[in-house]
Amino acid sequence: MKFKINRDHFANGLAQVLNVVGSKATMPILSNVLIEAEKDQISLTTTNLDLGIRCKIKAEVKETGSVTLPVKRLAGIVRELPNVDVTLDAAPNHQVKLTSGGSTFRIMGIGKEEFPPLPEFGDEKAHALEQSELATMLKSVAYAQSSDETRYILNGVYFNFKDGKLSLVATDGRRLALIAKEMEIPADGSGAIILPAKTVGELTRLLDKGAKVKINFNDRRAAFQIATDKDTSGLIDHVYLYSKVVEGNYPNYQQVIPKETHQRIKLERELLLQCVHRAALVCSEKSNSVKIKLSSNLLEITAQSPDFGEAHESMAIGYSGPDLQVAFNPTFIMDPLRALAKDEVFFEVKDEVSPGVFKTLENFVCVIMPVRLS
Amino acid sequence: MAKVRILPDRVANQIAAGEVIERPAAVVKELVENALDAGATRIQVEFRHGGRSLMRIEDNGSGMSRDDALLALERHATSKISAAADLDSLASYGFRGEALPSIASVSRFELQTREAGSDVGSEILVNGGKFVHVRDCGRPVGTRIEVTHLFNSVPARRKFLKTDQTEAAHIVQCVRLYALACPRTAFTLIEEGRIVFRSPECSTLAERIAEIFGRQTAESLAPIEAAEPGLRLSGLIGRPGIGRATRHEMIVFVNARPVDSRTLNYAIIESYHESLPKGRYPLAFVFFECDPAAVDVNVHPAKREVRFRSEPQVRSFVIRSVLQRLRELGGGPESGLRRPDGFQAVPAPLAASQATLPGRAATVVAAVPFSSSAPVVSKPPPPAASPSHPVSAIHHPQSPAPPAPAWRFLGLAHGNYVLFETSAGLVLLDRRAAHERVWFERLRDQFRVGAVPSQRLLLPIPLELDPIAAALLVDRLKFLAAHGFDVGEFGRNFFRIEALPTWMEPGDAEPFLRDLIGAFRDGRLPEKNADLAREELARIAAAKAIRLPDNASEAESRALVAQLFATPTPLASPAGRPTYIELNHGELARRFHK
Ligand SMILES: Nc1ncnc2c1ncn2[C@@H]1O[C@H](COP(=O)(O)OP(=O)(O)O)[C@@H](O)[C@H]1O
Ligand SMILES: [Mg+2]
Repeated sequence: MKFKINRDHFANGLAQVLNVVGSKATMPILSNVLIEAEKDQISLTTTNLDLGIRCKIKAEVKETGSVTLPVKRLAGIVRELPNVDVTLDAAPNHQVKLTSGGSTFRIMGIGKEEFPPLPEFGDEKAHALEQSELATMLKSVAYAQSSDETRYILNGVYFNFKDGKLSLVATDGRRLALIAKEMEIPADGSGAIILPAKTVGELTRLLDKGAKVKINFNDRRAAFQIATDKDTSGLIDHVYLYSKVVEGNYPNYQQVIPKETHQRIKLERELLLQCVHRAALVCSEKSNSVKIKLSSNLLEITAQSPDFGEAHESMAIGYSGPDLQVAFNPTFIMDPLRALAKDEVFFEVKDEVSPGVFKTLENFVCVIMPVRLS
Repeated sequence: MAKVRILPDRVANQIAAGEVIERPAAVVKELVENALDAGATRIQVEFRHGGRSLMRIEDNGSGMSRDDALLALERHATSKISAAADLDSLASYGFRGEALPSIASVSRFELQTREAGSDVGSEILVNGGKFVHVRDCGRPVGTRIEVTHLFNSVPARRKFLKTDQTEAAHIVQCVRLYALACPRTAFTLIEEGRIVFRSPECSTLAERIAEIFGRQTAESLAPIEAAEPGLRLSGLIGRPGIGRATRHEMIVFVNARPVDSRTLNYAIIESYHESLPKGRYPLAFVFFECDPAAVDVNVHPAKREVRFRSEPQVRSFVIRSVLQRLRELGGGPESGLRRPDGFQAVPAPLAASQATLPGRAATVVAAVPFSSSAPVVSKPPPPAASPSHPVSAIHHPQSPAPPAPAWRFLGLAHGNYVLFETSAGLVLLDRRAAHERVWFERLRDQFRVGAVPSQRLLLPIPLELDPIAAALLVDRLKFLAAHGFDVGEFGRNFFRIEALPTWMEPGDAEPFLRDLIGAFRDGRLPEKNADLAREELARIAAAKAIRLPDNASEAESRALVAQLFATPTPLASPAGRPTYIELNHGELARRFHK
């Protein structure tokens, strides 16, 4: 195999696939990238068996073929090469010669045979979305995923294609975020998956390359084809992301979203975020909660820690309901506020034991459970 | 000098009873065994006041003719063996013909029985060993024995009985063991008119375990099946990483007989050495089968123990088999369960674990050992690790900085040991131990002040318990609520955790509460002594529920040292382990032969 390639294109391609390497010491090949050259492009593939990424880059292919090389090292070298023209030449014994200007590297590779192929998809359920839209939706809920690996069902974002809409849901058992978007869902296209947290992270990172993203899935796995029509640094066609899904039953989220509204207040998102952020500065591991107090046209936020002191913030709001107070973990308030883009959010509360609910006008709901002193 | 003479039967019976019938549960055991021996497919056990005032065992087995029934009450009357050689090929639980006369000699004993083919049943009443009457009675085929006023005639025995609660727990445990041994027989257990459990005929051991110990426990198990010439091990064992704080869910049977075998218990515990953290016990419901001649049950007068003719062979067979199975199941330490990649299928459904029944009738051993994995006697609480100090709403403020030693951070070893340079030499800090000390003080203060912040859950966590554990929990719901846990009862033996202390991850709640119930059971959180209970709760929480932050940067390590030295006893963890060790210059010089 032999090809000539633009250094920055090569580096960009490697950067796309770099994060996915296997940790299994028993399969060292999983820390390699599979490089395949055909016609006028090369493709780069990495996988950890649960998750895999492949992208394609323009190249001047002199001799088709393939090899695998340690991806971290290779990416580090390519980035630093002196000349924009790079040639890669792999001998049949997998010895690779990399040249650029006056530098030459000889790297020992491994043959393609041991590299586990990324499964290709056949006739699974398929949907297409705007990349920017999916990115926004993922960002609106991803923070609520559980990072507690003992609750693996919650270590991901739930995608539910059903009844004319796509809903994304994430929860850690104490709070839940949901965003929905109306779209046409053919009868054979409805279904749901739990996309693992790591895949969510990679997907979010990749979703800025072009207009469309295509999703295919079945009960065990999902694949995303991310168009690269906006990217100008050598990527062609699309980036292919393959992932196993978390198998199991996602909790019934509809059931925990309060149906009735008690006190609804309109809030300036940025302002509330800043107030809570400042109040939380006095919180400690021992007492990590902020108290929200509502009274006539006034919202007060207080926090205190026995070792340090206390904070008091106040905001003028439109409110004429009964006085009430309720405490929350400040992170649970700040996370959705940070993830949203709208200037205004609605916040609904009832009493000190009932959930607080953030809403926006575009099908977004975030339910957070309060903290109480017993 | 007294003359040697033959004891009257009644006295001999009482002496035998002293050995065999030491407590109410032993009566239940003997009568349940008889029912099983009689081929019953349905057995109902009912008792009151820990068995002291009533035990009634009813079966649908073969029943007895009047003559047989009268004979059965004679000493050494048995239908099960006729010659000593039969002992080696025994297919029944009983063989000595001692149980009925022994029980009848120390209680008011009423037997009703009817054989198939006979149109009337017989009722025999014996009181304190004295025959009262025999007469006709109507009843379905089978036998019912009612034992009341146990040990009334033997005050010395009565004195040794524990509280009703303890005796009841032994009876429950006993019936459970036989229910596990014979899943194909339907069991009902009733205490004070209330059903403790009712288990219909089950086709597999896994189903029976789910009936008695709850689905959650059943789903934590995987089948095991191993054989070597003359030895067989089958049943269900806990998946790697899933452990318990007590041995109550480690149950072994030898040739279908529940026993307490040190050899088997230790072999199983040892097999889990790599798969469970220290101090945790495996879950195991295993049947060990071997040639009846290779096991000796006449070891101890109370027959609790069995001994194998070739202990090392049995031990190595069990360890090899369990280890092999654990390896197949992907064993690792408890942390290995925290699936590093977020994948892994849901626990195998129950149906997949089709553990088959050991053929009970084919191989059953002589004698009457009785498993002692019943409730445990309370251990003395661990020594208080620190003297109490004055309470106030505001505790040792962290600024101005506490007198933390001027240690220079050098690095982290194995994720847990932080190395510091000190003026005196080198210090190795155990992060885990230091963390436990810091959190122990923190929680104890919180508990004392009574302000425990509690995070409500959006998705309550289900908790399914066995009846004893459920009863213990119900009694402590208030105590738990005062310490940040809101647990609600949802039907028989079912609970939902609705709120947790803020420091606990939801994923830790279920195992933590199970551990806590284990501690209740062992009497480590005495209901009557709130201070002691709170302190123990803080100790368990600091050890089990507080997760070590992954981040051990220099800043984090320094903060930990500062917090540690702000506690009244920074040198030891609440469990008494050192938090750090110091290698001074002298020691270093000596080691390097300077
Ligand atoms: N529930 C029962 N159903 C039928 N027969 C019974 C029952 N209980 C006892 N027997 C008869 O009574 C005999 C004596 O019982 P027991 O004193 O327990 O001695 P063992 O069980 O050692 O033979 C048994 O051998 C059996 O024939
Ligand atoms: Mg018997």
